[in-house]
Amino acid sequence: MRNSWKTAATASVLAIALAGCESEVAVDPSQQGTGEGAIELAEFPDRPYWGDTHLHTDNSVDAFGFGVRLGPEAALRFARGESVTATTGAEAQLARPLDFLVISDHSDALGATRRLYDAPRWYVNWVIGDETVLRWYDMMHESPEQSQRAIGELITAAANGEVPEAMADPEAAAEATEEIWNAHLQMLDRYNEPGTFTALAGYEWTAMPDGNNLHRVVMFRDGADRTSQMVPFPGLNTAVDDLWAHLDSYEQTTGGRALAIPHNSNLSNGLMFEMTATDGSEMTAEYAAMRARMEPVVEVTQIKGDSETHPFLSPNDEMAGFGVKGWELGNLPLTIDTTPDMYAGSYARSALLRGLSLEAQLGVNPYAFGMIGSTDSHTSLATGDEDNFWGKHTGLEFNNEDRAMAPQNLGTRVGRFGWHYLAGGYAAAWARGNTRAEIFDAFARREVYATTGPRMTVRIFGGFDFTAADWDGDWVRAGYTRGVPMGGELTDGGSAPTFLISALKDPDGANLDRAQVVKGWLDANGEVQERVYDVVWSDAATRRRTGSGLTPVGDTVNREDATYTNDIGAAELRTTWTDPDYAEGQSAFYYVRVLEIPTPRWPLFDAVRFGYQLSEDAMADAVAQERAYTSPIWLKPARATAP
Amino acid sequence: MTLPAWAREPLVHFIALGAVVYVVLTWGGTELDPASRVISVGEEEQAQIALGFERVMGRAPTDAELDNAIERYVREEVLYREALRLGLDQGDAVVRQRMVAKMDMSATAAAETAEPSESVLRAFYDENADNYVGAPLVSFEQAFFASRASAEAVLGGEVRGGAISLPAKVDGETMREVTTVFGEQFARGLSQLEPGEEWQGPIASGFGWHLVRLTDRQPAPAAFEDVRERVENDWRSAQIEDRKARAFAILRDAYRVEIDR
Repeated sequence: MRNSWKTAATASVLAIALAGCESEVAVDPSQQGTGEGAIELAEFPDRPYWGDTHLHTDNSVDAFGFGVRLGPEAALRFARGESVTATTGAEAQLARPLDFLVISDHSDALGATRRLYDAPRWYVNWVIGDETVLRWYDMMHESPEQSQRAIGELITAAANGEVPEAMADPEAAAEATEEIWNAHLQMLDRYNEPGTFTALAGYEWTAMPDGNNLHRVVMFRDGADRTSQMVPFPGLNTAVDDLWAHLDSYEQTTGGRALAIPHNSNLSNGLMFEMTATDGSEMTAEYAAMRARMEPVVEVTQIKGDSETHPFLSPNDEMAGFGVKGWELGNLPLTIDTTPDMYAGSYARSALLRGLSLEAQLGVNPYAFGMIGSTDSHTSLATGDEDNFWGKHTGLEFNNEDRAMAPQNLGTRVGRFGWHYLAGGYAAAWARGNTRAEIFDAFARREVYATTGPRMTVRIFGGFDFTAADWDGDWVRAGYTRGVPMGGELTDGGSAPTFLISALKDPDGANLDRAQVVKGWLDANGEVQERVYDVVWSDAATRRRTGSGLTPVGDTVNREDATYTNDIGAAELRTTWTDPDYAEGQSAFYYVRVLEIPTPRWPLFDAVRFGYQLSEDAMADAVAQERAYTSPIWLKPARATAP
Repeated sequence: MTLPAWAREPLVHFIALGAVVYVVLTWGGTELDPASRVISVGEEEQAQIALGFERVMGRAPTDAELDNAIERYVREEVLYREALRLGLDQGDAVVRQRMVAKMDMSATAAAETAEPSESVLRAFYDENADNYVGAPLVSFEQAFFASRASAEAVLGGEVRGGAISLPAKVDGETMREVTTVFGEQFARGLSQLEPGEEWQGPIASGFGWHLVRLTDRQPAPAAFEDVRERVENDWRSAQIEDRKARAFAILRDAYRVEIDR
């Protein structure tokens, strides 16, 4: 006995002696702040900078439970192009590095499962002293499968508000959060290299009343000097209005900037884009203005499905419905089924339309947002590539043979399977250089777009005097000086708007099928309308428009070996397009959707790699046309913008 | 950092720490002595607890909250000491790892905070010069053609490419940037070419074919001033590894290890 307490005393003294020695390694000042002035900027945004704004690491309560043992540092190294060893042992690397990354660990119980796992068993048994927590602790240590089961129980408990009190102590959690957050911010500054790689601070606010997904990713423009002045805002038991107030106060207090990005509106059962305020009361102009300011961008495509639109809402859009299967059934944990009356509040296109209606009533459009894609990967690995898919979480990594056909953990009982997962998307930001300020500002002015994984370069400029002759000169300069880019607003001047539209294929990917303009507007009766125009497509000499739409581009995918050829489609599609259905005084938005030729999705790559057959319904969904969605350009009636 | 060399030696740190431990164990009486059954929460401790609360919640605790926090402190202290008394720290893999990590840290803490002099860093930079050669920067013009034949047809004559939204001229960019914009296939083709004034190619890309005038390619030499930050980071990691190894070697020497083979 005597020896043991001597050892312990030694450890304690060591701990005290060392506490004073910990200190941060010096970081280059240009890496620490917003990056303004750190590099030379182009005159106009010069290329899309590619990133993922939605990545979870071992600091996320669920990701750790699902088994991930890679932390934020590995996540940053992977995103900037280095090879890392994934949790399950295989080497993972991106074929092409990303330009920026937002690590968005859940603010609730930040680091809690990792701390629980790391704690000695006697501490869990004696100090925490909760049977359930001890059982989870033992399960987490027993095996990866048991760990996933434990975290399944924890998520269910959280959704039902039954988290053991010992784990939900707000004060203890706040202390742990502050510690993890501050260390995290220091590391982001170390990895932030203006001009090469941008590491933005952020977290996920994870509110889900009754399992209806209202999650937002919060993203900051600033370095640790500002972001360390506040800790991540908890999602459980708070409303989104509280989050906005918190972010507003962050901006007031620190002089910094923050924004929130809603995601998985497809799993919100109509609550993400309501016609009312959050509490069901009538929406006010103040509410609409606050929302528009705090949420300029929505994440419309990611691993858990695509939220652009639903075939029910857009029956005349034959390309609608990408990434909808499985996810359309219900809310996040599939505790409440989705019914068609909920769709309009769950999908981005209908939300943009609702925004026009609300603007007509309130004078402010709460849903004037741009669009991005991201991954929502819980493996610390930010990859949205079909042939390099590392799974939604660590239980479904690259070397798991069963992952495509197995039921997955969210709503297992009612028919969501592994193959319903998309490989995830990316966010493209039109910026003048790769710094925190430039990337953030592109989001703030909505000059961003979504892709479902491929890195196609898409531009749209709206104006009133563009002509086909602009393509012969410096059309980018023309676009910026005589019009507005995606995310911008035009004021109705009595003539139809004209758009310069260019889509360049992913240099290492598939050719392009077509570019479309999606127009939404309020008609003379104040009703919302939408229409999809095919504006430019490949092989125009042979592909005709028929009564049932444009002749399909074809399909070169070999289902036996998961390959395709670029014998069809185009390297670039360009056009000058004038709205043929313009009516003066109309309130409208226009965004571009670009489609690739059909290519294999990740389940087909898996089936070939492991040598098995996909089920019939999985096979029917194993080839798809990947796509990009730009942020809209809004056309506003002259009165709406008058002072 | 003006401490003499001996004061930076890990062995000296261990001896000093050992002395502190001896003093503590001999006189005891501190709140950390697990043998004691007295837990005193004096004014100083209470101020600490209140400060901890304030740092987290952004305001001073109310009396009730302070009482609560003290109660929690006492609970943790009691259970901690009882756990030690029962030897629960023994044979616990996590405790073991923590203590091992702390020993490593005690050896390397000085390296974490040391401010290396300019000459130390310059010497390190010279020794590891290979690590500080910048990525090669390339400058070129390119003309785009939909087919190989149409590209070859104009080679040697006036080169005018077709329309595509790619830069016609690239000035001093890294290959990483070239790969992002033109793709991997083009980057591979480009690295096969030698710089010169003539149009070369065609080389293939995901878009089609390109004639290229590669005007310049050179490794950007990284001046010490430009990479000072990286040199310092690298020097620090090297120091940490070195100190860990040396400290361990000193301790290891005191053991006789018998391994049955």
